Amino acid sequence: MAKTILCLCRDVTAEDVRRAVAQGYGDLETLKRFTGACTGPCQGKTCVDAVRRLVAELTGRDVEEIAVPPARPPTTPVRLGTLAAKDAS
Amino acid sequence: MSVRRVRRGEAAARPAARRVIPGATCAELAATYDAVLIGGGLQGVALAYELAKRGYGRLAVLDAAYPGSGASGRNGEMIRSAFASEEWIGLFDDSLRRWQILSAELDFNVLFTRAGYLLLASTPEALAAAQGNVALQRRHNLHVELLGHDDVRRLCPEMAPAMIAGAVLQTDAGFAHHDATLWAYAQAAARLGVEIHPYTTVTAIGATGGAVRSVTTDRGKISTSVVVDAAGGQARAVAGLAGVDVPVEVFRLEAMVTEPLAPFLRPAVSSPAIMGYCHQTTRGEFVGGTEPDVPVPCESIRSSLDGARDMATKFVRLFPRLAGVRMMRHWSGIVTQTADVAPILGRAPGIDGLYLDCGWVYGFVGAPAAAALMAELIATGRTPPVLAPFGIERFATGELIRETSLVVAAAGESVA
Repeated sequence: MAKTILCLCRDVTAEDVRRAVAQGYGDLETLKRFTGACTGPCQGKTCVDAVRRLVAELTGRDVEEIAVPPARPPTTPVRLGTLAAKDAS
Repeated sequence: MSVRRVRRGEAAARPAARRVIPGATCAELAATYDAVLIGGGLQGVALAYELAKRGYGRLAVLDAAYPGSGASGRNGEMIRSAFASEEWIGLFDDSLRRWQILSAELDFNVLFTRAGYLLLASTPEALAAAQGNVALQRRHNLHVELLGHDDVRRLCPEMAPAMIAGAVLQTDAGFAHHDATLWAYAQAAARLGVEIHPYTTVTAIGATGGAVRSVTTDRGKISTSVVVDAAGGQARAVAGLAGVDVPVEVFRLEAMVTEPLAPFLRPAVSSPAIMGYCHQTTRGEFVGGTEPDVPVPCESIRSSLDGARDMATKFVRLFPRLAGVRMMRHWSGIVTQTADVAPILGRAPGIDGLYLDCGWVYGFVGAPAAAALMAELIATGRTPPVLAPFGIERFATGELIRETSLVVAAAGESVA
């Protein structure tokens, strides 16, 4: 059967999200932690809207009712060597 | 308990039966419980599970946000019992023994990874101190080895040689997944009838005649004769509702995670020289945090650029190859720190039925033991000997616990 991948970084499928919501991970905050969706290098920029829409559909809520987890820095992945102080070897 | 309080406007949306984690309930609060645990972090949820195991009666865990939203979901996940004092070894080795079998006990994989815990010594002086600690740890039958420079290089080939004088390796310690651990306890507790109520804020604790009578929340008032303050970053405010002063200061800790890497680091590593701790997860990410030498009290959970630079600088110093590795995410959490950095476990002074399970800095590793021992105290009225040194009385008597192997900056002094 075809898979619908929602989170490209972590290969999280629509079915993964359905199962997680059915188990009780009904907030994006907890669903994210359980499935790994939105935790890859893009930090959810690619998938959070799709995951959010599916959670709304599955839980019978408006999309606006589903809180989006706060964005964490950095905005885009940054090499530690770039952030490190110059005197670090 | 979450540091992010629910805004008033959102409160109306709450009763719409929001399932946030398996094990949490959407039901209304009952009028009476045998015990109410304030804070749905690992301490509160695990203690509820242990009380339920003892058949304690009707139990409610209340959290202002979703369970695990505070430090329980923000910590460094590392597990050891190889400390430098009788008191810490007693409590945390009890916990380590529970960690070994926790997935089976709770019927949920908490991803406990027995990859070893390496406490790095970067100077000859630190190594000499470690040697003394190992002697004490061996007397307590801990599985510890004193490693020399070459041993550490073999175990951690990517570590900068200049950072290595030697190390203490606790071979049966390691790390686990903090969210999985919270969910495991929550589901096991729910199976035993514990009610975990998310998005429920405590606004008052009623205590008359020297005993706990009630808890008032934004969802109604509950009668109870037992209340546990397991409110993490909010523990001081919660105890204050009952007129009890919990002597803690609040500090922000910051942590980061990199993009996933092929396995390069097996054990959990702590380094007092950089005031840092880190491990590589089973998904390949390098996760860790560092602390400034002199911490400044701070209740914010916003992460800072200074924190990101501190972590990047120190972790590149420890593992030079990380210079080319990208940080994906950086976050903060808050800890409540006592004068001796040990937790406060036991009865609250002056009020029957009020218990304290707070002041944690090493709360993730300590939770399984603290939960079981606090449940014993609450259910039997007797304080288990291992728990006794951690009572709040020590701040009045001055009998503080002296523990020297912590990777924590004590306020106002630099760390040995």
